[in-house]
Amino acid sequence: MAGFLKVLFHNVLDGPSTDPFPLGETFTPQRFRGKVVVDPDICMGCGICRHVCAAGAISISPRPDQSGYDFTVWHNSCCLCAQCRHYCPVGAITLTNDWHNAHPQEEKYNWVERKFVPYVPCADCGTPMRPLPLSIARRIYLNNPDINVERIITLCPKCRQVEDARTHSSCAWPAAAKPGKTAGEGAPAKADATAGDAAPKE
Amino acid sequence: MNSLLKKLSVRSPWLFRINAGSCNGCDVELATTACIPRYDVERLGCRYCGSPRHADVVLITGPLTARVKDRVLKVWEEIPNPKVTVAVGICPISGGVFREGYSIEGPLDKYIPIDVNVPGCPPRPQSILEGVVLARKIWLQRLGVEE
Repeated sequence: MAGFLKVLFHNVLDGPSTDPFPLGETFTPQRFRGKVVVDPDICMGCGICRHVCAAGAISISPRPDQSGYDFTVWHNSCCLCAQCRHYCPVGAITLTNDWHNAHPQEEKYNWVERKFVPYVPCADCGTPMRPLPLSIARRIYLNNPDINVERIITLCPKCRQVEDARTHSSCAWPAAAKPGKTAGEGAPAKADATAGDAAPKE
Repeated sequence: MNSLLKKLSVRSPWLFRINAGSCNGCDVELATTACIPRYDVERLGCRYCGSPRHADVVLITGPLTARVKDRVLKVWEEIPNPKVTVAVGICPISGGVFREGYSIEGPLDKYIPIDVNVPGCPPRPQSILEGVVLARKIWLQRLGVEE
């Protein structure tokens, strides 16, 4: 009897426990894992999210005109495991707490998060590429204070090798030769090899 | 009498649940949606029925495995028209994490016309309620009844 009175008392005090959702507002936990969003400004296209995606919901497809790539997440395949968020090195891909997912069949294949991520031309040779974010580059080169991080993030991998050979190699860059594309390909690799460096040879 | 029956019966679309090889996650959420007072799908006039012949809205979970495919299609055929089919979870919609598996015949819309998709792994009960509300709307449209 006393237990029943306790329940009755609580029910009178707290009101109905039914969530008013389809007719009213509901609650959403702050850390609820809902729809995936990607920030095209900081995504660098490494593809680790696509690699770890359990359901294969992520597609990264470069455009044929080399202007950039399309980053697509299909919500109808995403299993909301948040592996992409966990592994993204720049924090570009996250999960919102938006769970409003019911949609009619006509929208099935449009139920996606699609962002265009543009390429940026290399500062030296103009090859289209996706630059590293500055914060990541600083972290990578933390133990190499003599490397000019602001400069090398604007270069494509090939020009970065040339830049490295020019500034850091123990072998002096031939003063007479013009540091162009043709001179840059053979010379630095050779210089690295003679210096016993671990740089990959081409 | 007939018109009165018509008027009253559209207030309560009955639900039927088909498990097409689901991992049971979505089924638990469906049970939660209907059976605990917090989400209480019966406010919308819906309730689960035991026979496909009584159903109006069918909720299908699971990626349609090879073993249950024929049975699912058979049961689905038994539901009288007009029926509204709701795919609950990512598995019936796209195959989800099981896509391209050796025993997976899905996605479901290769065999059955789906009307509403509720993705999620599993979708939360509110999301399923949203899907049921959408399904009810489509069902009323098919019946030609204005609310």
